Amino acid sequence: MKHLVKTILCGAAVMLTPMIAQAQTIGPKGEAATPSSEIVVSDSSAETLKNGNYTAALLWHDQSDFVNAVTAGATAEFERFGVEVVATTSAGFDAAKQRSDIETALTKKPSIILSLPLDPVTSAAAFKEAKDEGVKLVFLSNLPANYEHGTDYTTVATDDLFQMGKQAADALAASMEEKGTVGWIYHDADYYVTNQRDNAFKTTIENDYPNISIVAEQGISDPARAEEIANAMLLRNPDLGGIYVTWAGPAEGVLAALRANGNKTTKIVTLDLSEPVALDMVRGGNVAAIVADEAYELGRTMAAAAMLDLLDQDVPPFIVAPAVTVTADNVSEGWMQSLRVEAPESLR
Amino acid sequence: MVVYIGFIAIFLFFAVTLYDDGFLTQRNLTNILLQTAPATIMAIGLVFALSAGEIDLSFGSIVAVSALTVAVVLQDYPLIVGVAAGLGVGVAIGALNGVLVAYLKLPSFLVTLATMGLFAGIARSMTDLRSVPVMNETFTGIFGSGKLFSLPSLVIWTAIGVGVGHLVYRQTRFGAHVLATGDNPRAALVTGIKVARIRLYVLMISGFTAGMAGLLYAGRLQAAKYTLGESDLMTVIAAVIVGGTALNGGKGSIIGALLGSLLMGMLNNGLILMNLRVSDQMIVRGLIILLAVAVSLRDSKR
Repeated sequence: MKHLVKTILCGAAVMLTPMIAQAQTIGPKGEAATPSSEIVVSDSSAETLKNGNYTAALLWHDQSDFVNAVTAGATAEFERFGVEVVATTSAGFDAAKQRSDIETALTKKPSIILSLPLDPVTSAAAFKEAKDEGVKLVFLSNLPANYEHGTDYTTVATDDLFQMGKQAADALAASMEEKGTVGWIYHDADYYVTNQRDNAFKTTIENDYPNISIVAEQGISDPARAEEIANAMLLRNPDLGGIYVTWAGPAEGVLAALRANGNKTTKIVTLDLSEPVALDMVRGGNVAAIVADEAYELGRTMAAAAMLDLLDQDVPPFIVAPAVTVTADNVSEGWMQSLRVEAPESLR
Repeated sequence: MVVYIGFIAIFLFFAVTLYDDGFLTQRNLTNILLQTAPATIMAIGLVFALSAGEIDLSFGSIVAVSALTVAVVLQDYPLIVGVAAGLGVGVAIGALNGVLVAYLKLPSFLVTLATMGLFAGIARSMTDLRSVPVMNETFTGIFGSGKLFSLPSLVIWTAIGVGVGHLVYRQTRFGAHVLATGDNPRAALVTGIKVARIRLYVLMISGFTAGMAGLLYAGRLQAAKYTLGESDLMTVIAAVIVGGTALNGGKGSIIGALLGSLLMGMLNNGLILMNLRVSDQMIVRGLIILLAVAVSLRDSKR
């Protein structure tokens, strides 16, 4: 009996291990993550999709390199299966404009909407009309409040947020030869994406690197204040071996503070690609690594998920696209892998 | 006059080019009316302020403060208290602007530039950047998604706002005094018009209409957020100027402001339906507004 229990437990552990290692990012409702590589529309479905004369609207929250790459990934995937993109909008982070954009796009009767809801509260009413009309809704990162998977929306896709934070911790630890002190500059707001990434960094350092200790923690809500925050942190901890910065915008401020102090030893690691930060990295400055998401792949998987739903196939509630660690050695490849565009001239 | 021609020209252009894309459907035309309702209401207040020779840059921030106020108050108090609080906050901020401009003789551009930042900050700190849901269904019906005799409530509010605004502006002594103050304040003073009081009142009206716009946003989104109204400043100023109101006072039109606002909404709507890229939508919209403002200002100098 004892032996049987042991065997069952071992078997379960073996089966669960890859899942845990692969997907520690959890969805807005605590859902387990499915890797984006598993979301594939088979070539045999092409005929059905093309005959369906389906259309899609891409209703984004803002404009950026990231949004461009997601759009490119989604558009290319839609093109493969004859789904026409009939409207593209940017709400400029304005909840009222997002609502108007949805209404306007619905005039064109899209079969699919891909969108980043600005926040759970304001977008619940904004997407209601689209939901009621049976449009396949695929959300990026955020989920409107009280929406149910399967009946109200197809899926939520996002970056593998835990992996991004973890890879940032691994990269910083490697650059510090796995010992020393670290400062942690996290996003001081109730925002799902940054909170998960920041906490993953902290957890990884605490659990995996016993010789590295986080000696300074500072929240940031206004990226413009990054330089003064970093200055204060360095004043109190002049021997910091490394600093984690929640995303690239404030990292530029932290970099400015290190330069102003003539500090060439403290390493920086941050998330999301930025030319000024990457330039410091390729020139052998303070920046050790940048961890980016595969935004193009995120767009592809959103489009694929929506098409699978049109084909009445099951789509998991929460999908993550992989993270990529970009260092001085792989800038060109990393840029291509993340955004599917050439790295800026200055970095090549 | 120009706004009428521009409005019809752009309407016809979209009607022909976007016929197959549903531009002329009742649903789409209703959408344009619903989407422009808050901006139209803000524009009415701005016509009064500009006509008296003042400007209000703070109305976008008032919208956010007012929307958040009503959302927070409605969580614990009945409808009437929430509405009164939302509108009251708008009028109070307008009065603050007005007192600083009328009695401390500070330029309205600088005063409202400062209060714009001040109240944008207050809106952010009111709920720690959180969005607040509005659960009161009577409120969301009256100020957002409801209908009366199959007319959407936002359309009714627009009609009431434009009707009352036009009457006060054109048919009352107060309206005449506003225009006289904007046209030539010294002459107005000599003829016995209480110029300072007019300045106070027009900024209070602008605060009130911004507060009302905040209520409409809160009703429409069934939630309030600190970003509401922030991006409306330029759209509303453009709508009012295209509608024939002079930037330096003494001349204006409420009906023109309505058409200007609808023109802006129609542009947003039509350019999305044309399936232009987002950056191209911005470029085309900018160019058309530039053209409309240039023609409108030339026309008003004649």
